[in-house]
Amino acid sequence: MNSSEVKKWYYILPVLSIGMFFAAWIFLSQGADTMIPTPYATLQRFLDICVNPISEATLIVHIWASLKRVLIAFFFAIVLGVFLGVGLGWSKAFDSFLGPVFEILRPIPPIAWIPLVILWCGIGELPKVVIVFIGSFVPIVLNTCSGIKEIDPLLINAGLVLGANRRQLLFEITLPATVPAILAGIRTALSSGWMCVVAAEMIVAKQGVGFLIVRGQESGDTALILACMLVIGVVNLLLSTILVKLEGVLCPWQFSKTK
Amino acid sequence: MAVLKNKISLKNVSKTYYLKDRTVEVLKDITLDVKENEFLVLLGPGQCGKTVLLNIIADLEKATSGEIIFADGRPKMGDLGMVFQKYALFPWKTVMGNVEMNQKLKGVDKATRQAKAQEYINLVGLQGFEKAIPKQLSGGMKQRVGIARAYASESDIMLMDEPFGALDAQTRYSMEDEIIKIWEKNKRTIVFVTNNVEEALYLGDRIMLLASRPSYVKKEYIVDLPRPRSYTDKAFLEMRNEIVANTDLDI
Repeated sequence: MNSSEVKKWYYILPVLSIGMFFAAWIFLSQGADTMIPTPYATLQRFLDICVNPISEATLIVHIWASLKRVLIAFFFAIVLGVFLGVGLGWSKAFDSFLGPVFEILRPIPPIAWIPLVILWCGIGELPKVVIVFIGSFVPIVLNTCSGIKEIDPLLINAGLVLGANRRQLLFEITLPATVPAILAGIRTALSSGWMCVVAAEMIVAKQGVGFLIVRGQESGDTALILACMLVIGVVNLLLSTILVKLEGVLCPWQFSKTK
Repeated sequence: MAVLKNKISLKNVSKTYYLKDRTVEVLKDITLDVKENEFLVLLGPGQCGKTVLLNIIADLEKATSGEIIFADGRPKMGDLGMVFQKYALFPWKTVMGNVEMNQKLKGVDKATRQAKAQEYINLVGLQGFEKAIPKQLSGGMKQRVGIARAYASESDIMLMDEPFGALDAQTRYSMEDEIIKIWEKNKRTIVFVTNNVEEALYLGDRIMLLASRPSYVKKEYIVDLPRPRSYTDKAFLEMRNEIVANTDLDI
């Protein structure tokens, strides 16, 4: 096979695998008593919820309800997470004081907090925001902290030789050098936050994509569940694509491919 | 050669690292003088502690014993220029941002420090690249930025830690010419570290040959060859062979 023939296969193979996926889906969804809706039924249900409201809201309103929770929580997670991460990474005293507490709380999956947070904060907007905050705060702290600890010692030496005092060393050299690590943490955090909001909404909510899935379960509407799952995946993909683009803009020295 | 004032004097400088299971003696009783405005080369095999010695002079590390005397008093941090082997440029800063860094940290206002930085950017031949970031530059250009940044600290002492070690051979030759040109235009006291005998001979007024682990001054060579020097000159080659024969093998 010559190279252009090989290349051709790289275009054919993905089409083939996606084709097989849909073929399997269609095959499994045949029969009257199956719990698997056909791709066509899923698409129809998707278009239907785009126009016809469920619980007084169309799909886009539900997506926005979830996104809003994520964005609010995310704002606080970034502010506090970067602050704590810098503290843990930069100051030995801070690290030995707060580090152990953080290490105890860190391995608890954010979803395990849901029952407690609902008891504490009720069933309004606050508990969802708190859950998402817990889920996105931890990766931001961890990435910021390790970014600061793993800074190239050569850059620190260069800063010292150029006359930086300790404050300048942090703000002029260490923090800018850590921005890529912080952004990587933010990307992980966004995925984690999006997962948490769906989980929180599945337990108690009147709106949001997680609520829609549970509504589908309660009414045996499998097409609705599948349509929502795909929507959740697509939204997550969009969010991380936006962030990757943003990284290119914010740190061209690290992420941008242009030479 | 005229009698020159001693700019830096190292007296019995030793450095030992105390590790968990052993001690490593890196520098042993290094005594040498650096004269004002001379181009002094510290030549030694790889891993012989040259960088440690330079870091001690720069006050980035402390000597275990011995003393370092600066004729004009120890310069404060920021008043001493240093060029690093791996450039150590700030990747998020432009060429201008890197070169003006020293003055920025000292609180000099923007217009003044950028005018100053521009002079040094011109000195190393990078005019037109002020807004480029290091990622967009070749290795040779990156090190020009490193040299300009060190010069911009306006220090009369420049420490250079194998500055051309990461460059390919062709770029290395042209940078060697470049550094001599820059130095002749703008004389400073240069302490230049290298493991390359030809480079040492091509650049230095004087060469201090260091032994390997623990490192001590094995021999001093005064290079009394006119500049620009030639790698194929007879006197150059004779001296080269002599130094090579006297150099510890880098194991």
